[in-house]
Amino acid sequence: MTQLLRDAYRYAVLSRKFEDRIIHMGMAGEIPPTLHPGAGHEVCQTAALAALGPDDKVLYSHRGVAYMIARGTPLTAILADIANKEGGTNRGKGGVMHVVDVPHGVLGESGTLGGGLVVCAGVAMALKRFGKGQVVAHFFGDGGSNRGTFHESLNFSAVQRLPAIFFCENNGWAVSVPTSESTSVPDIASRAHGYGIPGVVVDGNDAFAVFDAMTTAVARARNGDGPTLIEAKVVRLAGHYIGDPQLYRPDRDLAAQKDPLPGFAEALIEAGILERADLETIDAEAQAEVERAVAVVAAAPLLDPALALQDLYA
Amino acid sequence: MAVITYSQAINQALVEEMERDDRVILYGEDVAIGIFGATGGLRERYGGDRVFNTPISEPLIVGSAVGAAMMGLRPVAELQFADFIFTAGDEVFLKAGMWRFMHGGAYTLPLVVRAPSGGAGFGPEHSACPEAYIMHSPGLLCAVPSTPADAKGLLKQAIRLDNPVIFFEHKSLYGTRGEVPDGEYVVPFGKAVVRREGDAVTIVAWQNMLRRVLAAADRLAADGIEAEVIDPRTLNPFDRETIIESVKKTGACVVVEEGYRTLGVGAEIAATLMEHAFPYLDKPMRRLAIPDVPIATARHFVDRIVPTEDEIYREVKALVG
Ligand SMILES: Cc1ncc(C[n+]2csc(CCOP(=O)(O)OP(=O)(O)O)c2C)c(N)n1
Repeated sequence: MTQLLRDAYRYAVLSRKFEDRIIHMGMAGEIPPTLHPGAGHEVCQTAALAALGPDDKVLYSHRGVAYMIARGTPLTAILADIANKEGGTNRGKGGVMHVVDVPHGVLGESGTLGGGLVVCAGVAMALKRFGKGQVVAHFFGDGGSNRGTFHESLNFSAVQRLPAIFFCENNGWAVSVPTSESTSVPDIASRAHGYGIPGVVVDGNDAFAVFDAMTTAVARARNGDGPTLIEAKVVRLAGHYIGDPQLYRPDRDLAAQKDPLPGFAEALIEAGILERADLETIDAEAQAEVERAVAVVAAAPLLDPALALQDLYA
Repeated sequence: MAVITYSQAINQALVEEMERDDRVILYGEDVAIGIFGATGGLRERYGGDRVFNTPISEPLIVGSAVGAAMMGLRPVAELQFADFIFTAGDEVFLKAGMWRFMHGGAYTLPLVVRAPSGGAGFGPEHSACPEAYIMHSPGLLCAVPSTPADAKGLLKQAIRLDNPVIFFEHKSLYGTRGEVPDGEYVVPFGKAVVRREGDAVTIVAWQNMLRRVLAAADRLAADGIEAEVIDPRTLNPFDRETIIESVKKTGACVVVEEGYRTLGVGAEIAATLMEHAFPYLDKPMRRLAIPDVPIATARHFVDRIVPTEDEIYREVKALVG
């Protein structure tokens, strides 16, 4: 666990620095500004993913790039997907939202919110049939949880006792709509009771708590006991999209004070997992890795438009 | 050659493919009994792990097939009525149709969605033949078998293909009988078959309309009009070549379909002929189709809007007689 959480912190820092650079380049018009910034969510995402094994599968949400980083997808591939350059994963078809890395278990993302939930059930169905104890985790937002597919997937996965973890990152917002306007209960996880499966609310800013909740859910799934719904309360530090002025959002100054990343560092130091001196090293290494990726992708050629006609049929 | 029903042919195809390949799984609403008879007995034979009933959750049925296929299974999912393609629109058109493309070809999606279509008396939400929507949409192969032999051979082929297939089973055909080749065979996608040779007019039709066209063609023959009848068998891939070649010989073309007229399969064939056979057409292209209204429940209303044998006979005779 020590090593896993140390890595989770490293990935969270790397993701933050990488996204800052992506946002900067996006605002400057150097690359398309297509990222939905993950700032505020990374600690939760990387801590949750730390509980998965290398053979497990992930379907992720649109909120940032920490998911793929934590699974081991190279930064160059992610940036190339954003920049429509050679060296990416989806050859110009999906951009940053559909980074795919099958060897690392990264299966993709649904452009339609909630669309991944039913796909996740099918992945879980296959994993159950293979009988090797693999699990799939699906990350989605509070907004996505209001789709009918949420009901269908949780019900079916519960009936079939599928090895799936449904992980809701509740940041209180779906673009400009607060959950109080869209969602009938304060805790989305409470809906799990309607499906007879565990529903767990966890503080998404507390990496240790997220890791624990996820570890329990993964063990349950591996054991053949079925799915779990985890709801992590997180904070969306940035706008919905790059350049979102967030005029609709009265809490944005307050939210900005709640960056979970420094808190994660402190908790790791307190637990004796990191030394204070490590923080600077981690920061410096992350920044260097980001700059290396930026340089590689800057030199890569733009994708050949002939690819627009390829990859539809096998 | 054994004579069996269309629904028995589908059952045989499923049995043979499940025997051959244990990655094939089958599921949908009521598949354990098989509402139209096609899947009966399979759960007993292959067990509840491979053949299972699902809740009434169409997006889940199709979406999970996409997920299972991306992991390497070969799911055969059933929508109880083809109309429910729209209930699962995201999963059919955007997931099955696009996920491989959108993820840069990172995986294949070898799945089949079986969809019972057509028929009379089922009402507007249970009677459609929505194959034109599938033909229009990138990424989805589309089969429209007309005979027991093709139902079996095309389904076996569909299960083996590495691309998503929407497989339309016409409800009026389940009880129809026909000869099925002995032994192992598949029917390739993208190869039309000439059901009847002739030189006066080319008629394109499939499934229930094909039966009516063949009956009308016999009457036309008695009047001295020899129609060439083409069954496309699959709409994606679509064998344009066979139709174009036939029209070069006959100089006239009629498409008879059980879908809505505007932007239907007939419209696509008409455009194809304008592009590739214009100099050969001696007569205006004709389309017989549903006149852009939903299919009412009353059976005599259905006969008013779906092309009948009489109507086909009259229209073709008026065109080339
Ligand atoms: C089916 C569907 N409806 C609407 C959208 C447009 N959309 C993209 S992100 C978003 C808000 C998502 O909110 P949430 O799920 O809470 O995730 P968050 O962005 O807060 O991380 C909306 C409305 C979409 N992509 N898909």
